[in-house]
Amino acid sequence: MLDSGTILTGMGVGLGSVAAEVFRVKPLASLPEAAKHSGDEALETESLKAAIAAVSLEMNGLAEKAGETSAEIFEALIMLLEDEELLETALAQISQGWNAGTAFINAVEEYADIFAGDATFEERLNDIRDLARRVAASIVGISLGLDIPTTGRFVIVGEDFSPADTAQFTEAVVGVVTIQGGPTSHTAIICRSKSIPAVVSCQQAKDLVDGMQVLVDPVGDRVVVDGQESDITEALSFIAKSQDPIIPVRANIGSLEDAIAASASAAEGVGLFRTELLYLSAKTQPTKQAQAASYTEILKAAPDGPIVVRTIDAGSDKPVPFLDMGDEENPALGVRGYRLIENHRDFIVDQLESLEIAREQSGREVWVMAPMVSTYSEAIEFAALARRAGKFKVGIMVETPSIVYQIAQLADVLDFISVGTNDLSQYLFAADRMNPSLGAMLNPWQPALLRALEQIATACQEAGVSSGVCGESASDPAFAVVLAGMGFQSVSSSRSQVGIVRQALSSVTKQQAKEVFEAALTGLDADQAKSAALAALAGISAK
Amino acid sequence: MATIKGSITVLDPIGLHARPAGQIVKLVKESGLEVRIGKAGQELAKANSPLRMMALKAKTGEELNIEVDSDDEVLATDLIARVQEFLKG
Repeated sequence: MLDSGTILTGMGVGLGSVAAEVFRVKPLASLPEAAKHSGDEALETESLKAAIAAVSLEMNGLAEKAGETSAEIFEALIMLLEDEELLETALAQISQGWNAGTAFINAVEEYADIFAGDATFEERLNDIRDLARRVAASIVGISLGLDIPTTGRFVIVGEDFSPADTAQFTEAVVGVVTIQGGPTSHTAIICRSKSIPAVVSCQQAKDLVDGMQVLVDPVGDRVVVDGQESDITEALSFIAKSQDPIIPVRANIGSLEDAIAASASAAEGVGLFRTELLYLSAKTQPTKQAQAASYTEILKAAPDGPIVVRTIDAGSDKPVPFLDMGDEENPALGVRGYRLIENHRDFIVDQLESLEIAREQSGREVWVMAPMVSTYSEAIEFAALARRAGKFKVGIMVETPSIVYQIAQLADVLDFISVGTNDLSQYLFAADRMNPSLGAMLNPWQPALLRALEQIATACQEAGVSSGVCGESASDPAFAVVLAGMGFQSVSSSRSQVGIVRQALSSVTKQQAKEVFEAALTGLDADQAKSAALAALAGISAK
Repeated sequence: MATIKGSITVLDPIGLHARPAGQIVKLVKESGLEVRIGKAGQELAKANSPLRMMALKAKTGEELNIEVDSDDEVLATDLIARVQEFLKG
């Protein structure tokens, strides 16, 4: 039994919160054990096909009930359910003697083996497994309905919910807690779209039982036993106290569409223009004219202010078809970003010269920077190439720990630097960004990252080099305040976050931002650092 | 019947996942044509099963070969272009 006040941690979905009674979703009625059929293959085949058709019909019904957001999900699920290859695999199982239900479950498991270890597919795999159980249940006539109350107010708690489950959520579902599932699980997507407060991936929730009162507090990434609405972690509301943010907020873009959309936001220029999208789908190297034309169009459309263009950031994990990159054992540590200069100098020079034509034609202020620069020599070389090619402000991305120690020496070489926090984390912690189980190390609130960032900001101030952050972390409003507090001179956020980041940076003074950063430094781990910073921010907005 | 060959690139940040796989198969079925998709150097797979498409495990940035059996080159080229659209994410 959980004591009153016990805190169960998970991952919050949404900004709202709710206190209500727990309704524990009953474990699914158990299906019959795997079994062989009596020898009539034709009969088993027929009953499998009938069951697939029945579940497909049921899914169609649920799709209508679930409404717009889910219609596409159900359409995709129905296609998977009616997949010809899946049916053939199942029929082969029937030929081996398995009965219809077992055959279909086995067939799905054959695919599970193919997809195993691939995080993108594993969550979908759960959806497909759920379908297989429904087909098997339909064959033996078991109902897999959830039996959720239709009146009252309940926080429903379960392992994870499939699309078919969430479609059965009633008005009485005011909060959701799942033991499994991550922030991209179906449950999370649906709760976000329906504004139902939810905490997912909350393992201790297995001890919650019917009748308990809980507070679902997504902002605090937690569920509190017997928690009241008054225990809610304040969703930071940033009340702008000045017209302008303490440092400029720019937008990240990668295409013409992005540039147009960003110019409709409050962004002051572009802090990261990722150029690789222009090349990833080209089979041959575009001519300088073609590149210049694309760049001109994008520069013209971009929001007012400087535009920071990053030269091509490709590697064997993100290959450009016309540049021969070969395969590498360890692409994140291989030939990527500016390291392409060795074999593809002409291409990088071409890119810079195309940008100069576009700069002249658009009349915009263009800054250029190279990704993955890890030595002084590379920085010097890039600066020389860029200054020869055009009238740009010239900088580099700071993503590798090695270059942090040479910023002071680059004082007269560079106009600016921009930190890519995602890669800096990956290299600082030696933690592969593509491996979901290492996510905790890549949390931007990790104290070691905070200190590394401070060192960069300080070194830049001493060297007279302008500094900004364009990584994912700069899209988090609270973190953006911390970055300003360290001394960074601009941030660049994803387009959808520009407004809220601007608001956060307009709600504090530079001195207050520094206090928030200093509060974060008191934390010994990422959670402590984040809580301390949020508490400091809450204190400021309460003033 | 002629076979029109082309190549497509996965631009979707999550790779060739369930949604684009479903969209491709739906398009292929509606067209009534035989379409095959696969990685360079591997046998191409018939694009009539979303699971088989997902089983290619094509990642962002990866180039795939595509073949359409049709004597109507315009139709086939248009189909390839639409498949590419689905892979833009």
